[in-house]
Amino acid sequence: MPSSAPEGLLEFIVDRINVGILAVDRAYRIILWNEFMASYSERPAREVLGRDLFETFPELPRKWMERKITGAVVLKNFSFASWKQRPYLFRFSHNRPITGGIDHMRQDITFMPVLDDQGEVTHVCIYVYDVTDTAVYQAMLQDALRQLAESNNRDGLTGVFNRRYLEESLEYEFTRARRYGHRLSVLLLDLDHFKRINDTHGHLAGDEVLRQAARRIASAVRNVDVVGRYGGEEFLVILPETDGDGAHVVAERIRALIAEQPVIYDDTAIDISTSIGLATLDEHMAAYTDLIERADGALYRAKDNGRNQVVAHTPGG
Amino acid sequence: MATKVLVVDDSAMSRKMMIRALPEGWDVEVSQAANGKEALEAYHAGKAEVMFLDLTMPVMDGYQTLEVLQKEGLDCFVIVVSADVQPEAEARVKKLGAMAFIKKPVNTEKVTEILKEYGIL
Amino acid sequence: MSISFRTVSHLNEDQRDALAEIVNIGMGQAGAALAQVLGEFVILSVPRIRLVDSQAVPETLAELVGAETTVSAIRQPFHNHLHGEAIVVYDEHGCRDLADIMGHDECTDERVEQELLLDIGNILAGASLKGVAEQLQAEITFSPPSILATHVPVERLLDPEALDWSYSLLIEVNFTLEARRFKGHLLIMLSEDSIDTLVQDIDAFLESL
Repeated sequence: MPSSAPEGLLEFIVDRINVGILAVDRAYRIILWNEFMASYSERPAREVLGRDLFETFPELPRKWMERKITGAVVLKNFSFASWKQRPYLFRFSHNRPITGGIDHMRQDITFMPVLDDQGEVTHVCIYVYDVTDTAVYQAMLQDALRQLAESNNRDGLTGVFNRRYLEESLEYEFTRARRYGHRLSVLLLDLDHFKRINDTHGHLAGDEVLRQAARRIASAVRNVDVVGRYGGEEFLVILPETDGDGAHVVAERIRALIAEQPVIYDDTAIDISTSIGLATLDEHMAAYTDLIERADGALYRAKDNGRNQVVAHTPGG
Repeated sequence: MATKVLVVDDSAMSRKMMIRALPEGWDVEVSQAANGKEALEAYHAGKAEVMFLDLTMPVMDGYQTLEVLQKEGLDCFVIVVSADVQPEAEARVKKLGAMAFIKKPVNTEKVTEILKEYGIL
Repeated sequence: MSISFRTVSHLNEDQRDALAEIVNIGMGQAGAALAQVLGEFVILSVPRIRLVDSQAVPETLAELVGAETTVSAIRQPFHNHLHGEAIVVYDEHGCRDLADIMGHDECTDERVEQELLLDIGNILAGASLKGVAEQLQAEITFSPPSILATHVPVERLLDPEALDWSYSLLIEVNFTLEARRFKGHLLIMLSEDSIDTLVQDIDAFLESL
């Protein structure tokens, strides 16, 4: 590298640059150890120079490093390692105040062979880059993306899943149940006299009723069951691995939970109840929409029969 | 009497480079072939006492050509000239009867050395 | 831009031949490096060279690698005398065979699998481009490799919208291991400016002959 810099400047820069720089000879003895390495390892250069790298730092992954270094020597080419595959080589603390669970400095490593005049490799230079910030940002980004994906599937008001997700889920469960001969049931719920609640107590009250109802439904089912808001005041519950009897038990439990306690809004007690239509997968059904249709038919009968009850679709009925 | 030399390579450029790398003053009669099939034809026509043979060629590659030559009793000096510089490649062609292996890119030094080593020059 | 296109499309036979030979020699070195690292015999294909505009890159890739193949790939940018990206594409058998050869149990750990793909990719890209650069008497500097995608159909590997260049020179070689199903494709993509530089280099190379 041509330069008109004063003597000693290059050495100074190599020593003080904010990148770890070390070099080893073919016997893995340390022949260069800059300030970055010294300060993070708390081992000054005079203590490590001339010593075997692996003896001095026994926690280094010896086999892996030898492979990387040998690769660079034999092929006379750079080799690299990324924090994404191996979080760090040297266990240094990262000095960041906020970490989100990152314990040590994340490092990108470059192995550079150093050739003599005859073109033979005499040393390997190792660069250690602190990429902790990148790792932290990447973790934050992934978190945000995950939350975004979640929110795309959720109903904003009640927090249960939205219709789109319900349809996707049901289609998936339907196909699986069909293919493997499993059982599958759905419950379609419609809150009774909801329009009247809205007109009497106002839309905000109506919103609170929906929220409460959703919470009560969700509390009555297992983790594998899917609860979502199907329409304005309609909810759909998908019950995988559940037959008609099992579904009936769940439906009855939900009905009771909703009807038992009024919803308190603004010091007013609002009585609520729900009608529930239940349908179970049978061989007459060709598509997941059939399940919903049957449940809807049963729901209609529940409304017709006086509300606040569970009606199951009967095949042939 | 001029030595009959056959240069076999699918790349015209490569053949040109090979011919240019032949030592000055070597009394030769040079023919060219673009694949193994053409090489065998030239060989049968008596045009190949020394053959410089590439490995990666279409129609019939260097290995296949060597196999045929070996089966027919190999009556020429074959020097493989290839970009495929794996040690195993060299081992294989030697087992198939090639005398020597020159790594591309060729130059006159390499060629002269080999020819001298095997007493052709 | 149009200059590059004209230049390359009007490459005369000598220039095209020279390029093919230079690439061939570079790839030979990559094959030897791979053979050394894996301890197996490597079969090199004849290099294929295509000039494409960026819109055509996905379909060209599919043509070169095999339509609808599920692949994993790494990318490694390089710069200095020539600018571009090296892309190494592995099919599904690739990883499993590699892991086997390198003595890992299986590709159970995603990070181990990725490191393998990156290491091998780095070796192939590094050796081939160094080989090419040596013949052109130039220097090429590499950036670290990174994972481009894992287990995607080859058509979805590169998004033309994301490419900065309108044209690129695509050079493809594939490496097969004898008695194994491993097949890796090395693709060198050169930026438009570099195509110009390369043509100048080829001319200089031809002059020196």
